[in-house]
Amino acid sequence: MKLEGRIALVTGGSRGIGRGIAEALAAEGAAVAVNYRSSKAGADEVVAAITSAGGTAVAVPGDVAEYADAESMVKQTIDELGGLHILVNNAGIAKDGLIFNMDPGDWLEVMRTNFGGVFNCTKAAIGHFMGERDGVIVNISSVMGERGWIGESNYSASKGAVNAFTRCCAMELARFGVRVNAVLPGFVPTELVEGLVEKDGGKGILRQLPMKSFGEVADVAQIVVFLAASDSKYMTGSLVTVDGGAAAMLGTGAPL
Amino acid sequence: MASAEIETAVQEAVVGALGVGEDEATPDATLMDDLGAESIDLLDILFRIERSTGVKIQASDLGDYIQGGISDEEFGDADGIVSRKGLEHLQKVMPQIDADEYEGKLEAEKVISYFTVQNLADMVGERAAAAAG
Repeated sequence: MKLEGRIALVTGGSRGIGRGIAEALAAEGAAVAVNYRSSKAGADEVVAAITSAGGTAVAVPGDVAEYADAESMVKQTIDELGGLHILVNNAGIAKDGLIFNMDPGDWLEVMRTNFGGVFNCTKAAIGHFMGERDGVIVNISSVMGERGWIGESNYSASKGAVNAFTRCCAMELARFGVRVNAVLPGFVPTELVEGLVEKDGGKGILRQLPMKSFGEVADVAQIVVFLAASDSKYMTGSLVTVDGGAAAMLGTGAPL
Repeated sequence: MASAEIETAVQEAVVGALGVGEDEATPDATLMDDLGAESIDLLDILFRIERSTGVKIQASDLGDYIQGGISDEEFGDADGIVSRKGLEHLQKVMPQIDADEYEGKLEAEKVISYFTVQNLADMVGERAAAAAG
């Protein structure tokens, strides 16, 4: 087991990719704090699933967009699980729409959670990591942070911010023994992207992906496990796409 | 004054954080000018000191230690030159600064650049004693 004795905090761990990550880390031996904002029932389910499989987990409330909450969830993790080695900044929201139709506040709300959350939790955790000279941060970004998609401008900007921040964090924290990387998933059907696939079952999107298939939560979770473990000890400041080739593609290549 | 243990811990922290040789990190070497320490280096040094001695110092504490609780207005005059009162305090925490020699000449902003490895060791020693007492 690659993460025996390690302790992780997964923000937004009550469902979707966050849930998959929490369970995958636990399967490798990590004790996991499952953060939720409002889905307590979901978080409790994840904790139950982990503990019934023989692992250790606790549910930890807090809104990553509020710095005080970020501090309290880090503190609660350290108090209840005995420490912290791995921070997975996964919590994220979307408010899709054409820029023309958006409320002026729509970009800020998405930015506050998607980037603000990463900033807040990172800042709240690094004092501990730097003191111990040991820590790993994995930011769950998105391939949208690197490429455009109609209707995703605010989400895309927030993930671009996460990607830039990942690089700077990596630079500042390397000498303190802390590695910081990001995973950039492509299309993985979860609640967050329900709206994108409901119109036509996703056919419109699949046509535009080299692999012509959606990703699975496990595809992302396994990369997070790799980045959290010492297998990736020489990686920091990396942005790892897990997107079925989406970012590599300029167009479908027709006509040829 | 700092114990030999603390002096060693501070020197090791400086050497480890800055990647300088032991022969460079002498007690009289100034952290910023001689050894080229920047703010991130200072953070690294202070974390290492905390880890090895248990004494926790924040970067902001350095300014407070140097100024010794003297208000900005009393520490420096309108031109930013350290006052006699300020110099008298500095002689205590940074003894290498001769109050007579620097009278009317020392810019308050530049004081931190004179901070030496020994000054830091003394500060850690003082904090350690205060925590123990």
